[in-house]
Amino acid sequence: MGVLKDFFNLVKGMTITGKHLGRHAVTIQYPEQKMEMFERSRGVVVLLSDKETGELNCTMCMLCMRACPTAAIQIDAPRDENKKRVLNSFVIDNTLCCYCGLCEEACNFCAIKMAPLYEFSTWNKDDLVWDVKKLQEMGRDVPYEDTRKKKPAAADKPAAEKKPAAAANPGADAKPAAPEAKPAAPEAKPAAPEAKPAAPTEKPEETKDEAAPSKAEPSDDDKKGDV
Amino acid sequence: MSPLRTEEFTINMGPHHPSTHGVCRLILTMDGEKVLKVEPVIGYLHRSIEKICENRTYVQCVPLFDRFEYVTSMSCNMVFSLAVEKLAQIEVPERAEYLRVIMLELNRIASHLLFYGVTAMDIGALTPFLYGLRERELIVDLFEMTCGQRLTYNYIRPGGVSRDIPPEFIPKCREAVKIITEKMSDYEGLLNENPIWKVRNVGIGYLSAEDAIAWGVSGPVARASGVSYDIRKNDPYSIYDRFDFEIPVHHNGDCYDRYLQRLAEIKQSLRIVTQALDGLPEGEIQPKKKINAITFKPPAGEVYARVENSRGELGTYVVSDGTNKPLRVKMRGGSYNQLQALPIMIKDCLIADLVAIFASLDVIMPEVDR
Amino acid sequence: MELYGIFEWIYGLLADTGLPEPWLTFVVYLGLGVVIFGTLSVLALFLVWWERKIAGHIQQRFGPMRTGWHGWYQTIMDAVKLLQKEDIRVTTRDKAVFFWAPVVCFVAAYLAYVVIPFGENLWVADLNVGILYIIAVTTLTVISLLMAGWGSNNKYALLGGMRSAAQVVSYEVPMAVSILTIIVFSGSLSMVDIANSQQGNVIFNWFIFKPPFGIIAFLTYITAATAEANRTPFDIPEAEQELVAGYNVEYSGMKFAMFFLAEFVNLFTVSAIATTLFLGAWHGPLLPSWIWFLLKTFGMVLLLMLFRWTFPRLRVDQLMEFAWKFLVPLTFANLILAGWMKYAGWHW
Repeated sequence: MGVLKDFFNLVKGMTITGKHLGRHAVTIQYPEQKMEMFERSRGVVVLLSDKETGELNCTMCMLCMRACPTAAIQIDAPRDENKKRVLNSFVIDNTLCCYCGLCEEACNFCAIKMAPLYEFSTWNKDDLVWDVKKLQEMGRDVPYEDTRKKKPAAADKPAAEKKPAAAANPGADAKPAAPEAKPAAPEAKPAAPEAKPAAPTEKPEETKDEAAPSKAEPSDDDKKGDV
Repeated sequence: MSPLRTEEFTINMGPHHPSTHGVCRLILTMDGEKVLKVEPVIGYLHRSIEKICENRTYVQCVPLFDRFEYVTSMSCNMVFSLAVEKLAQIEVPERAEYLRVIMLELNRIASHLLFYGVTAMDIGALTPFLYGLRERELIVDLFEMTCGQRLTYNYIRPGGVSRDIPPEFIPKCREAVKIITEKMSDYEGLLNENPIWKVRNVGIGYLSAEDAIAWGVSGPVARASGVSYDIRKNDPYSIYDRFDFEIPVHHNGDCYDRYLQRLAEIKQSLRIVTQALDGLPEGEIQPKKKINAITFKPPAGEVYARVENSRGELGTYVVSDGTNKPLRVKMRGGSYNQLQALPIMIKDCLIADLVAIFASLDVIMPEVDR
Repeated sequence: MELYGIFEWIYGLLADTGLPEPWLTFVVYLGLGVVIFGTLSVLALFLVWWERKIAGHIQQRFGPMRTGWHGWYQTIMDAVKLLQKEDIRVTTRDKAVFFWAPVVCFVAAYLAYVVIPFGENLWVADLNVGILYIIAVTTLTVISLLMAGWGSNNKYALLGGMRSAAQVVSYEVPMAVSILTIIVFSGSLSMVDIANSQQGNVIFNWFIFKPPFGIIAFLTYITAATAEANRTPFDIPEAEQELVAGYNVEYSGMKFAMFFLAEFVNLFTVSAIATTLFLGAWHGPLLPSWIWFLLKTFGMVLLLMLFRWTFPRLRVDQLMEFAWKFLVPLTFANLILAGWMKYAGWHW
């Protein structure tokens, strides 16, 4: 009895949908209820501030800018006469950001993070280009684990030497923190991070320079070959 | 009285049509309801990812591969990582391999669940779509928990994986596997034996094994035609040779078998995930000498890597000139070949069949257009 | 019942004013028409909301939640929105046909309610050919769909219109024949007589429980009625995955709303007919008759909604095959056997 079997199968399908009729919805009512975001969720990019001083963790090393595949991060931090970097602007264009999280991984100073925040839509596209103030403000309440190496305030030199290795090897074991670093004078604090990144930034620049020409040649050949 | 004059007409299906899965345009020559000729027009979603890759460092290419075939981004990450690892002779730690297999198989399940829903919706049953996505959500949550994203994961990297799994991952994953195993009976009960589903799918869109091979069709579509070819078995990559699983094969080559094929593959993937969770070792997730996102330079050379993803053979051909950016990246997706095989499947079909066939191929347009 | 009492009271009131007889009838029936029209439009709006809620719960989501308690006036807001929308008219349309199609559809949907008894003594007219009238006017819908398909001058719309013509005409046959089976039982074409012949508080008087013919007629009727109302699994005229929206692809704003509303009025119509013919009409204990009628009808509507949210869609040729090769022979065999049994004088 093919007809009866078909009929039975239709009824079977309807019992499955009928059973679901009485069940609770698995969706939520968004603006009132919100999903609990996972701690690792990659939402919008923010800049983190030091938990104690409230200053930006950023040392203007530009690693994130280099790691960004879409050039969404633009940092302008020229050196002043003391060879210290001065932050002119730190702009993240959220319309370009592809939320890959490479900037967060590149950063050695817990300065940039993809926070589990997702409500930042605006009416105007220009409002999605965030400057340092907005980025810092967004990052205020973002919890993060401070894995920065505490730098001895007085010993700038050894730290600077040590850094290149760390840059080439991001996330390498933290070297033992020096508890004396904390009570260091407030002026020393900004000075130290600024001095240090000078070394790591140097390195990528070099590699890039040497990489660029070598890259250009073969690709040109390739094109000619195609033609 | 002269006989009634009829004429053929062309109809534009797409680029914005609900059942072309993205922006595929099909130019149909129709005789009433009957489709005489179909001509796929592709390129509406072309983003020139391959070219952009040439201007990005190797690690920066991974997010681009995410966008190559976004339903199974993990496979795309994997295939590029495999290529780079082959190129630079990088040894991947054991734990990372296991994590990769877990993620790849979970992603395959997620993709097939999406297929289940979307195919049902194309044939008019709207509810399975929500059921399929409901369970897919569990998997996507697992991904978000681990790597932070729900669609473009950027998780599997050259050398390993980007982050270790959080401690709650394993129990959650086991729970998800259990739930999906249970819900399989719901999926099958809703559609498998449904007479309407069967008349719409059985015998529709026949693709013979010879044609499948001739057109380079791979993956579930080829296996549903009786071609027992799965890269996981035939050319094992990563650690797939360690797991006990089967390659389901169906022989009729019609829409119904393609559907059954994918449901069967979900079950096999669940088996692999369970085994991988059981055997997950402790240890590092990235090689000793970590790969720098900017300065990593594999030696000059060229390499082809391929993985089995839910739409067939996913391959990438990477040419390196020794700099930190690839000289050329070529991506190969299964969808492209399947879409090209569409015209030979539409013999004597109606427009409704065309939708069913298109759905059963599970074509995803970004993979076709790149 | 109470409503009928109110009408009699109004009728008396008007008669007292000394209005001449033809005018009196006209005014009363006009009032009646407005009431039925209003009630059914509200009911249709409610059904839209209900369908969305049911779809939502079947699919484990909420459905409309924003407007009022569980979004109860969602469709009203939708209607307001559609009223405000620009009425986009394609320049290549057939002007008159394009304009009149939704009107015909809308009017045809309401015509059946002339003879449907909503409760004891609660009907507009008790035609002695009531069921024949219903079969006649429900078919009018197909003309409007064909008009919409042709008038839009769009290939998708034309395909949808042609499909609906073929479908509705085909399914008219099994539907009419399965209704004929009931007429064999009741011996009358009048809806009220059919309802009354299922009287008695025991449900076994219902025609659906006259085995095996009643149940077969019921199932075939439901199948054909689903096709008549253009609902999944027979919604091929507007198959959104193939024809995008079929016949109404070029319609927007209020014209679209009219098609949409008519569809849900049709849904209620086929359920109400099923209730009257098979489920004992308004008969039931304790509760007022019209509540029984509504309960049964909503039960039927729920069943049709469950169909929609469970089944895939048939293909157009399979649909025809199913009608002509399965339903028509089955219903005819059912009718002939039932008639023979009746003739032989066997009772159930």
